[in-house]
Order: sequence, then C-alpha cells, then structure tokens
Amino acid sequence: MLLRILSAELLKIRRKLVWLLVLAGPLGVVGLEALAYALRFDYMIRPADSAKMWSDLLSGIGSLALPALLIGLAIVASMTAGIEHQMNAWKMTLALPVKKRHVFAGKFLLTALLLFVSCVLLALFSLVFGLTLGSSLGLHGSVPIGGLLREAFYPYLAAMPFIALQAWLSVTMHNQAVPLTVGIVGMIVSLFAGSRFPDWVPYKWPALLNQWHEPLYSVGAGVALGLVVFLVGMFEFVRKDVK
Amino acid sequence: MTTKSEIIVATDGLTKRLGGRTVVNGVNLAIGRGDIYGFLGPNGAGKTTTIRMLLGLARPTSGHIRIFDKDIRKERLAILRKVGSLVEYPSYYGHLNATENLEAVRRLLGAPKSRIDEVLAIVRLTQEARRPVKGFSLGMKQRLGIATALLGNPELLVLDEPTNGLDPAGIQEIRELIKSLPRTSGVTILISSHLLSEVEQMATRVGIIAKGELIYQDGIERLREQAQGRIRLGVSDPEAAWQLLLSYGYPAEWDRTKLTVGQADDRTIAGIVSRLVQSDFQVYRVEEEHASLESIFLQMTGSEASL
Ligand SMILES: Nc1ncnc2c1ncn2[C@@H]1O[C@H](COP(=O)(O)OP(=O)(O)OP(=O)(O)O)[C@@H](O)[C@H]1O
Ligand SMILES: [Mg+2]
Repeated sequence: MLLRILSAELLKIRRKLVWLLVLAGPLGVVGLEALAYALRFDYMIRPADSAKMWSDLLSGIGSLALPALLIGLAIVASMTAGIEHQMNAWKMTLALPVKKRHVFAGKFLLTALLLFVSCVLLALFSLVFGLTLGSSLGLHGSVPIGGLLREAFYPYLAAMPFIALQAWLSVTMHNQAVPLTVGIVGMIVSLFAGSRFPDWVPYKWPALLNQWHEPLYSVGAGVALGLVVFLVGMFEFVRKDVK
Repeated sequence: MTTKSEIIVATDGLTKRLGGRTVVNGVNLAIGRGDIYGFLGPNGAGKTTTIRMLLGLARPTSGHIRIFDKDIRKERLAILRKVGSLVEYPSYYGHLNATENLEAVRRLLGAPKSRIDEVLAIVRLTQEARRPVKGFSLGMKQRLGIATALLGNPELLVLDEPTNGLDPAGIQEIRELIKSLPRTSGVTILISSHLLSEVEQMATRVGIIAKGELIYQDGIERLREQAQGRIRLGVSDPEAAWQLLLSYGYPAEWDRTKLTVGQADDRTIAGIVSRLVQSDFQVYRVEEEHASLESIFLQMTGSEASL
C-alpha cells in the first residue's frame, strides 16, 4: 500500500518546481565552493597531497551544505504538502480507501526521498569537483569514497527529526507560513548551535558535533528522534478531522 | 415505511459539535439501495458536515453510522472501497492533466488502467484529457470530480452540491449526467443541494435538513402530495366559466390568467366538466398543477426569501 501511495505522490509532483530545488540545492552548494576556490586559486596555499585536498574540500562543502539542508528540508516538506493544500485535495485523498497513517507516511517518505536525491547529487557534484580540482592542482590520489558519503548522508540522517517535524507541520497546517518560519528559525539556531548548546540539543546534531567526536552518535540520535517525531505526527494526523 | 429495499446508509442519532455549536443534531438517515437520495437544506444546514462524517473525514461527536451494514469506525476502508465521493468544490491537481489526475487516484485504488478512459468518456472529457486541469472551466472540473468519484466503480456515490457555482447549462449537464448513472451501473446516489428544484427531477427519496436537524425524510411523491395540487382548467371564456362555477358552489379561482380549482376529488372534477360542457363552454384542458415544491421546502426549512 505504501508503495502505491508513494507512486501516486511521485506522479503528483511531476513537472513541479520541487524537482528544480532538489537539483539546485546541491548544485548551488558545490558551485559556491567551486567559486570560492576559483577566486583564490592563484594565491591559495596548495594542499600538500590529495588526501589533504579532499578533506579541505569536503569540510568546505559540508559547512555550506548544512544550512542548505536545513532550509531545504523545510521548503521541500512545505511544497510536497502544499500540493494537497492548494486545491483542497486532502478530503479527496482521505475519502479514498487508504489508511490515514499511510497517507501521512507517504508525505514524509516523499520529502525524505527528495532530500535523499539531493544528497546523492551532492556527493556526485562533490566528486566531480574534487576530481577536477585534483587534476588542475596536479594532485593524484585515491578518492576518499567513505568521506564523500559521510559528508553527503550523515547530516541528512542526523537531521531526520527536522524532516519529520517539517513534514508534520506542513501537512497539518493549511497556512504554510508557520512551518516555513519554524524551518528558517531552526536553520538559524542550528548555525549557532555548534559551540553553545549541550550535546542533547537536536539542533546540534546535523553538524555532527559531540563531546566524543563521533559523528555516528549524532546520526543515531537523529534517526531515533526522527522516528519518534514521525510517529507522534502520524498519530496526531490520524486523530484529527480532515479540513 | 420505506424499507422496500435494503438500507445501505443508516445513521443513528448522528451529531456533530463544532466550535461549541451543534451543527448536526441527531440525524437518522436511511438510504436504500438504488435510491437517488436528495439531501436538501439551506446554506449552513449541516449537509457537508454530515457527508464528511459519512466518509470518515470527520468523527461524529455522538451517534453511529452504518454503511453497507458496516460500522464506519471499525471498517472504514472496507466501506470506502465501495464509495465514490465529491465533497464541496472539486479537488484536483492543477498542474496535471485530467488523465494524470485520475491516474494519481487510480494508483491508490488499484483500479485497472482502462477505467480511466471509461470514466473520462462517461463525463465526456475524453477530448480534454491531455490539458492541464487548472485551465478547465468550473463545469469541467466538476465533471472531472465526478469521474474521479466513479473511478473505483462505487456502489454508493456521494456528491455534495455537484452543481454549485455552475451556469444553467452546466447545471443541466451535470443533472443529465447524474440521471444517466444509476441506469447504467445500478449505483445508489446521495446528492446534496440547497435547491429542491435541482434534485426534484432525479431524486427518488428526499431528506431535508435545517439547522442541523433532519426535518423530513421520505419518497419524493409524498412531498409532492404535500404540495396541494390544484386543477387547472383551460376553457373558452374562463372568466364567465369562473362565475358559473362559483354560482354552483365549486371552489374555483380566477387570477386573470388561469382558472383553477383547489383540492377536488374525481367526482367533483367530472361534475365541473359536465357543467361547463352543458353551458356550452369549450373545455380544452383539465390538468393537475402542483404548487411548487420549492415553496413547501422553503416553508419547512423556514428560510427567508433570499434562497
Ligand atoms: N470547523 C468549523 N468550526 C465551526 N463551525 C463550523 C465548522 N465547519 C462548519 N461549521 C458550521 O457548521 C454549519 C454547517 O456547515 P455545513 O458546511 O455542514 O453546511 P452546508 O449545509 O453544507 O451548507 P452549504 O449549503 O453552505 O454548503 C455552518 O453554520 C458552519 O458555519
Ligand atoms: Mg456544504
């Protein structure tokens, strides 16, 4: 059933702007990083070896990708829910023989899936840029696949509570200004969360910072809390009358 | 009584409170299989709220709903598999064309792909199937909504004010469409409206709701009977005929355009006709004339002339 719902959801976003956003996000992030390199190419200190080049590159892209992810997830969640809000299609969808919790899960999964696609693209664009940079610097070495995947997917997984939260807010509220505001504030908070907040504050997790210097802790906590938020949102959605 | 056929929609004391007001109050609907049930009431009477509860979109504050003899709270999915609906204004995805809109719903229903072309043909949108729906006229959107409702081959079709906002031609078209449905597929139809005249010609049963309460529910004929019929007489020189009839004690009325007699049995009418013929009037027509159902409806719902 969930697969059917997801396939219907994918059909509904055909020719929608959200696809452009999914592409533009990672493209913008890597493009901006490339621009930064291009501007100071002539006088920058050359990295000693290929490994150093990649780690500089990935941390640079990572710090740009983080706010993009946090704002992007709010916008994508709002857009996917907006498809139903715009033309008051909730009442049509929910009068069909589908479980309400599956409809909610479908919206969450669609949002998560679109963001996942963005992360895949981020890894791809980073790879292309890294290879280009390496060859123009004359540095040749193996590509740190693990680091690349970590850069692309750890923050995504650690941000799961926010994906679930935004999906929930966007789905239950007709006025999308509220969830978008929550998303923007969340992004700003997380930008400052790094040094100031204790480890248990979820806004710190997507940056993968914790006292043990173990990114996987942040990832694990994010996935776990994401699941909790998702379930709470789902039960609230099922309980409510349809607008 | 009305239980000549199987009851497929039954509510018992259906009540909904919204924002501290009782919007639907103790409603007992009974809709038989094959009925075209006109669900009538002025604006704000509680039609949409009732329909939302029937579809499981809203929970009753109290009362029970049984559809196909199943409890909506326990077997919502099983019920909805056999129900097609259109609630208030149509829902659609504007950037998609008509076929894609239907496909999005079809994927959830698991209906065969061929059904899309069938329902498009039923609502006569085959020609427009490839156009984005946001460019559709309201009537076309409404027809697409009906096509969507028909997609799963429903046994019960619930249409909430399907002619709302349409021009007379559009209203006529939707009405013809709905009238043609049960004949072709044997479905039961619940159709709401705030105008009796709109469902009068197709409904077999009528429920009237006002201020949240069901104040009438019976066959349409019973409603017609309540509309006190008058007999209209088409005769040569009606004014003189009127005076003649009055002089013989018949309850005739002449309003300068037509000669009528109120509530009269067959023998009285026969007496009137022979009296007229004997007095050398030419009798062209003797016909039953119904007081408009609309006026009874207005009387019942106690709503103002604004309707
Ligand atoms: N969410 C809500 N909160 C409070 N009151 C509501 C809500 N929804 C509807 N109502 C009220 O309930 C009453 C019945 O509304 P409903 O939409 O069921 O009427 P209706 O018979 O469908 O009218 P119409 O012909 O205008 O469609 C109205 O007075 C409306 O103001
Ligand atoms: Mg209504």
